[in-house]
Amino acid sequence: MGTKKFLTGLGATATAVKMADVDVITSFPIRPYTGVMMILSQMVANGELDAEFIHADGEHAQLSICHGASAAGARTFTGSSGVGVTYAFETYSPISGGRCPVQMLIADRTLDPPGDFGSEHTDALGCRDQGWIMGWAETPQEVFDNTLIYYRVGEDPRVRLPQFNCHDGYFVSHIPGEVEIPDQSQVDEFLPPYRPVDPLDPQKPVGHGPQIFPDQGPALEAMRHNAMMAAMPAIEEAIDDFGRIFGRKYAPFVEEFMTDDAELAFFINGAHAHTARYAIKHLRERGIKVGLVKIRFIRPWPTDLLQESLSRFKAVGVVETNSSFGIARGGGILAPEVCGSLYDVPQRPLIASFMGGLGGEPITLKEFDFIAGKLKKIAESGKIEKPVYWLGFEE
Amino acid sequence: MKSHEVKIAKEKLLPEAGIVKAPSPNGEQETMITGCWRVLRPVIDREKCTMCRSCWIFCPDQAIEIAEEKMAVKLKYCKGCGICAEVCPVGAIERVPELDFEDGVVRLEKLF
Amino acid sequence: MAKVQEITVWASGVVQDKEARDVAQCLAAAAAKEGKFVQAFDNYVDLPDRVNVPVRKYARISDSEIEEKYVYENHNPEIVILVEPTLVKGVNVLRGMEGDGCLIVNTGRSPEEILKFIPDKKPLKKIACVDAMKICPKAVIDFSGSEGAVEAAGVGVGIGAVLAGAAAKVSGCVAIDSLMSEVGNPEAAKRGFDEVTIKEL
Repeated sequence: MGTKKFLTGLGATATAVKMADVDVITSFPIRPYTGVMMILSQMVANGELDAEFIHADGEHAQLSICHGASAAGARTFTGSSGVGVTYAFETYSPISGGRCPVQMLIADRTLDPPGDFGSEHTDALGCRDQGWIMGWAETPQEVFDNTLIYYRVGEDPRVRLPQFNCHDGYFVSHIPGEVEIPDQSQVDEFLPPYRPVDPLDPQKPVGHGPQIFPDQGPALEAMRHNAMMAAMPAIEEAIDDFGRIFGRKYAPFVEEFMTDDAELAFFINGAHAHTARYAIKHLRERGIKVGLVKIRFIRPWPTDLLQESLSRFKAVGVVETNSSFGIARGGGILAPEVCGSLYDVPQRPLIASFMGGLGGEPITLKEFDFIAGKLKKIAESGKIEKPVYWLGFEE
Repeated sequence: MKSHEVKIAKEKLLPEAGIVKAPSPNGEQETMITGCWRVLRPVIDREKCTMCRSCWIFCPDQAIEIAEEKMAVKLKYCKGCGICAEVCPVGAIERVPELDFEDGVVRLEKLF
Repeated sequence: MAKVQEITVWASGVVQDKEARDVAQCLAAAAAKEGKFVQAFDNYVDLPDRVNVPVRKYARISDSEIEEKYVYENHNPEIVILVEPTLVKGVNVLRGMEGDGCLIVNTGRSPEEILKFIPDKKPLKKIACVDAMKICPKAVIDFSGSEGAVEAAGVGVGIGAVLAGAAAKVSGCVAIDSLMSEVGNPEAAKRGFDEVTIKEL
């Protein structure tokens, strides 16, 4: 079966990209994601990976080159962090609307100013409207697995959408963890070669991305919506197949921990779920029944599953490691989506946001205790004290 | 309308946008003390030195100054790169292990 | 939550970055072999390293799972290893050490000479010196830097192995046999273990 290695999130991504036999890789340095390109370039130089490795002159160029390559039928990989992600912003919609299944690694980094390498999710979340599949990995093993799963889902003929393969900078990208690396035959069974539809081909000329009139707009947008909706069954099938071939069974969209008898829940995206699980164990030793709901895909957002999951709790604390200053309810980006998901459900928990981990500061066990304390009070009193708490600034 | 501002304790406040008010180019950058980088200290032989100022011009960190009409190394910032020793036209600068000297202790609590 | 033993390795950037990384990795790998829970990682903000900038590498060893694994630094190191001895003048390397700690220095000088530069010796129980370059005259420089390292030259093949061996002897954090099975140059590690000069305070 597989071999076990200690790899960082970046090392895990590089290994998965190599095993996925990617055709075109474009690079441009920005910490913390850069390391993956350093490793991949060494693999290409050593002949371990047969790929075109193109060092672009900026993140916008990175994505544009991938767009062209993918449109011509190549399996492409690129990546960025922080303001690099926003530098390429113009390219995201053309790539997803062009149905090119480019995969982009985002090793999260706080957006400037000033220069902060620490992890915040705003760099990727800021692109959530661009029509890409988007999800987070919590450990290097998940990063490895997500790389393969996202290619499989993105290249699925019903879907054909690009994917943001996200994980927290430093926490996941730089801290090594155990990764079980499968055999190449298992990867080949799970991930078939990419079969493009109407690729750029001089023998069969097609035009990509022409000018249209507004009356053609609605249908094209509706078709893009349907592609994203098709990603949902594609994800479930891919996760199922993954479990069968590799032996690791993931919950496709929503992963729960100790929620069976819980009245309170932490709602988390990304690396801090690790600390949350220990916090939950300690809180339960003290008689406070908390559970963890970890969301694995931000796009497509699993509205139905979250309705089922979250309606069982009395109070939910949404841990926000992101910012959107001036957003509804004055907190982070996830809470309005959580609240929106539950709007149509008669049985709803009370929801409060907890701004934590901002700037890349770790969320400590003490801070999770604080969140649980507030949720307990909210559940007991039947109403929220205020919609948003800023961890570290509350008394 | 209600105020939705976050209360930030005085000791946690930072300059807006993290703006650093650095002193003028002739001053010191106390937020980045680099003397701790130095492994070999440049020692200027006053007898050989002709005050040509080559070391002062070439020092990448402005860590050589003219003090009391003599060339002097600012031990707080000198990184020990050795460029001064390389460019000295009369070979007046020798690079000596920093641990040989009891003075010149920077001992930072935090690197920056 | 069980106690986490924190090890901090200080070095000069670029020229000793790879060897320092090896010290932390090898000690952690040896402890993992003994069934402990470990972490081994670089200080995030010291990278990307420039030539001679002080860089820190960390290892953490614990009998139970390490719960707060995202903390950026080792705030209370028990074991401090200096690949670059001059850093004892440049930085307060014992900062955060709570007591009964040990300091292992890569130098041909005596422990007394190094102690001259440490005014507050209270947290220190032992100081040790080992001339790693003399024992194993090999220090690998890896221009990839820690972030893109593929360890093509192997792990623990130079002075890093010697220092890890010395640290194992002084602190007892790992058994020498576990360490020797995890380094590229086990003889160097054994010599570091045997030849380190320890001074108890």
